[in-house]
Amino acid sequence: MFNIKQKRLGVAVALMAVFSTAALAQKSGGTYVFVLHPEPPSLAPHLSTSGPIGQVAPKVYQGLLDYDEDFNPVPELAESFDVSPDGLTVTFNLQRNVTWHDGRPFTSADVRFSVMDVLKKFHPRGPNSFREVYEIQTPDEHTAIFKLEKAAPYMMKALSSYESPMVPKHLLEGTDIRDNEITNKPVGTGPFKFVEWKKGQYIRLDKNENYWKPGLPRLDRVVARIIPDASTRTAAMENGEVFYGAFDAIQPVDVIRLRDIDGIGVTTKGYASINPMSLIEFNTQKAPFNQAAIRNAVSLVVDRQFMIDNIWYGYGKKAVSALSSRFASAGLHAATGNYPAEPNVAAAVKLLDDAGYAPDDNGVRARAVLDVIPYGEQWRRAGEYLKQALAEVGIALDLRYEDVPTWLNRVYNEYDYQINLNYFYQLPDPVIGVHRHYGTDQIRKGTPFVNGTRYSDAGLDALLASGASEPDAKKRGEIYEQIQNKLDADMPVMNLFEMEFVIVYNEKLKEFTFSGMGPYSSFDRTWLDQ
Amino acid sequence: MAFWRLFRRNRSAVFGLAILVAVLVLAATASMLFPGDPFKLAGQPMSAPGTNGFLLGSDTLGRDVASGIAHGAQTSLLIGALATVVAVMLGVVFGGLAGYYGGWIDDVLMRVTEVFQTIPSFLFAILIVAIIKPSISSIVIAIAVVSWPAVARLVRGEYISLRHREFVQACHITGMSDARIMLREILPNCLSPIIVAGSLMVATAILIESGLSFLGLGDPNIISWGFQIGAGRTVLRSAWWVCTFPGVAILLTVLAINLVGEGLNDALNPRLRERS
Amino acid sequence: MNQTVKRFRYAMKRLAQAVPIVLAIIVINFFLLHLAEGDAAVALAGEAGSATPEYMAQLRQKFGLDKPLPVQLGIYLKNVLVFDLGFSFRHNMPVAELVFDRFMPTLLLMVSTILIAVGFGVLLGLLAASGLNTWRDTFISVFALVTYATPLFWVGLMMIILFALNLGLFPTSGMENFAAFHEGWDRVKDIAHHLVMPTITLSLFYLALYTRLMRSSMLEQAGMDYVTTARAKGLTERRIVFGHILRNALLPVVTMAGVQVGALIGGSVIVESVFAWPGLGMLAFEALFSRDLNLLLGIFLLSALLVIAINLVVDIIYSFLDPRIEVG
Repeated sequence: MFNIKQKRLGVAVALMAVFSTAALAQKSGGTYVFVLHPEPPSLAPHLSTSGPIGQVAPKVYQGLLDYDEDFNPVPELAESFDVSPDGLTVTFNLQRNVTWHDGRPFTSADVRFSVMDVLKKFHPRGPNSFREVYEIQTPDEHTAIFKLEKAAPYMMKALSSYESPMVPKHLLEGTDIRDNEITNKPVGTGPFKFVEWKKGQYIRLDKNENYWKPGLPRLDRVVARIIPDASTRTAAMENGEVFYGAFDAIQPVDVIRLRDIDGIGVTTKGYASINPMSLIEFNTQKAPFNQAAIRNAVSLVVDRQFMIDNIWYGYGKKAVSALSSRFASAGLHAATGNYPAEPNVAAAVKLLDDAGYAPDDNGVRARAVLDVIPYGEQWRRAGEYLKQALAEVGIALDLRYEDVPTWLNRVYNEYDYQINLNYFYQLPDPVIGVHRHYGTDQIRKGTPFVNGTRYSDAGLDALLASGASEPDAKKRGEIYEQIQNKLDADMPVMNLFEMEFVIVYNEKLKEFTFSGMGPYSSFDRTWLDQ
Repeated sequence: MAFWRLFRRNRSAVFGLAILVAVLVLAATASMLFPGDPFKLAGQPMSAPGTNGFLLGSDTLGRDVASGIAHGAQTSLLIGALATVVAVMLGVVFGGLAGYYGGWIDDVLMRVTEVFQTIPSFLFAILIVAIIKPSISSIVIAIAVVSWPAVARLVRGEYISLRHREFVQACHITGMSDARIMLREILPNCLSPIIVAGSLMVATAILIESGLSFLGLGDPNIISWGFQIGAGRTVLRSAWWVCTFPGVAILLTVLAINLVGEGLNDALNPRLRERS
Repeated sequence: MNQTVKRFRYAMKRLAQAVPIVLAIIVINFFLLHLAEGDAAVALAGEAGSATPEYMAQLRQKFGLDKPLPVQLGIYLKNVLVFDLGFSFRHNMPVAELVFDRFMPTLLLMVSTILIAVGFGVLLGLLAASGLNTWRDTFISVFALVTYATPLFWVGLMMIILFALNLGLFPTSGMENFAAFHEGWDRVKDIAHHLVMPTITLSLFYLALYTRLMRSSMLEQAGMDYVTTARAKGLTERRIVFGHILRNALLPVVTMAGVQVGALIGGSVIVESVFAWPGLGMLAFEALFSRDLNLLLGIFLLSALLVIAINLVVDIIYSFLDPRIEVG
């Protein structure tokens, strides 16, 4: 199916080139400080997919593969892999001379243990990613053969250090995986060794002198600095105290200001694996949004570009269907009708009239409470905007802000909401990132970020199932076109816009975008121009 | 009018009163000065003061800052006043009973008061608002809950010092009920320190509300100065006016209330009166 | 000797009275926190971005959240009796360790704040009282009030913009330089350097309180009989103020400072947030929003114990300073 053995040579050449350049001396050394927000709950990427963990842990742990900006696999702990034609056997050939930070060798036994005993059991998404893997054979120390029940092309996109880190068997085996010491003091194979975590202040990683990639890493030290206040993070960036801030570390309004400052750069690269989409979830089981007509009307009224321009300061792209346009390269994207180019109030009013949402004396057709995702100021502004926008067609909203646990409990456990402002990661493949939002089997009371609208449609379920296992790209594209049309008509979830996360960086920092994993990458090639 | 003569002697108190009256007038006439919803997207976002028809500028969504300040004055003053009334009532009940009866009642009530004084107050307020969910009423409750112990201590002290006075003894002899003595006889005699403490509490309540809003715990459906500050703080560097004007409004109001409170103190406090 | 015994008995009695208070604080907060919707498992799952039902059930079992409430409370109380504050759900480490780590920065900020606020407050109060109702008095009152009424975060941000970005005098935030990792004396100097801005910001808020307290306390003492006597004896105004009034006027200020140190242990969430100061306030704030019950209870418990201890110490010191006050 796909073989990257030839790439092995390319990497070797690249590494030699690095070695031979005279610039090497200047490219090494220095302490790289980046700003991290919020503080991670632990440093255990095998137990949590929390974003802040993902910004630290991949510098310590590694995955079997890395990915480029187009999400093509790049060798990491696996120097090559081979997928059998039926897709049921995947063989990984592992790098040699890789050691854990405590000096023990990394072998195929670690791979089997990581996947079968840790990721499949304890990782929030692992049970899905490795659903079909029933056995991993280890004929020798450097070969791991994954045996699958059914073909699972999406699994090959879930092997990064962030998504599926390889963890040390010798430290975890026979212990309580969750309470193991490495939960807060990680021991990996990566370019940087964990040194210290001062809660509320910083996490310090020092150079791994025995890193298996020759000549790397270039930095002497990596420090993740924790700053709770957004304005202070910006000030620290301006003052040259930190070199890098990803995700919402820097508020959009500050991004456009910092962009113009000499020595500070901004990029939107590095988020291919995340593919974030802002959206509205409707409770399909509760009035007033239990009819498709009113959900479509909302989509017709909202001025997506206004939100992008005034709340996200230009960082975003209007959604035109249930799937992100980033899936277009895989042929899985088609614009659909209820995502208008311009807001269309007249059409929305007609829809509401036809569906029987008649205005009362105050011109109000429906009342509801809008719950707003408690992940930052922009979302509040977005909620305030939506309230004003929907008032135009007689949908009167009250806003409700709650803290994270309360909000999650309300939306995904009690289903005690009507309309909810949220965002989802569509991830590199719809099967991992999008299916969880719509499938009947994804109505899981108490589980956050799945099908909280309780939309259930047998036809769609069948389409999703065939989309997941269809190996032919063209046929798969046709299936997903049907899926998008179905979701456009029923619209249990209304996409707002494809979010463009940014990375704000000090221009002294070089070569930090070599991986498609962006902030979730190892930074082993990164260096500081001192 | 003797009171007014005494109050007038304190020039800064008169100055404070003038500001306070101005704020009250602004609050009362908000809907006339700025008709319509203060949340309305009224024009070009982030307009500087004096441009695009915005006297004090517009915020990130194009809402009129001046309209928000006028309408927000109602909310902020309401929160301050309501929280104070609730806190004073709680404080008078607890402090009055404890001071009047003494003994085990005093012991028990004062232990309860100490419990509330021992919990870090701002954190406790955050906890309460987060649990009941951010809204005007939860904010009022939270502020009252963390403010009443001070009033209780004050009232208790006054009741202790008054309960053995002759006029109280006389009431006992005439067979007056305890409740009547406490409310009709003693309370009026300790009103002045309560008024002074209460006036300052209004100011503190407004500050606490803005602090809660800064942390994202304000009421999202009703405009207040705290809301404006919370919404404007992220753009402080690019659009200073969005949170500076509401900040100045809070500053002036808190300042005015404090000056008036000091004036009241000077005018009502007999000991100071004798001396100066 | 008799006095010492009395003081000791008094201290014991006060400590005994403190037990139900601490107990009540634990119970109240325990139930308040359980009133909140969502638990630590939901919060952690939310942070992780995804979770399976089995994963959440595992978390609940691990945290003991699957047991009935009274049982949970009983277990907590039993552990507290042997000074075990339990495990933080979110941080996955002992609460005592976490709290201790954050305690020193908190103490540092609070003590320096109280020192500055009391120092300047006493000075300003003295100046105001000695010029009663003059422009100086008015100016000081208004100045103190303005610093009190200006939102803290605004002062903090302005300090950062002015002193860190424009003048480059101080680092924007944090407690130490994390690129350098200084040791020994350099580290002390580095921390002191980082301490300046948060301390000034927070002191400005408390300054008003001490200024006003000192002013009224001075005025109150000035009206006392002993002052009249001293004046009759022909002492100079200067000697009267500095030799007699000042000493007595300081007493309430000291008491208030003692109470404040205790109350401030909970920290100023806002100043800690703006300056990324690693104090207990932010820790508690985050604990609340991740429903980290043990951690929050631990912080409340610790601050309650401190308030009680400090109040007791202040009272006893007071009885030394002012022999007219009888303990017991």
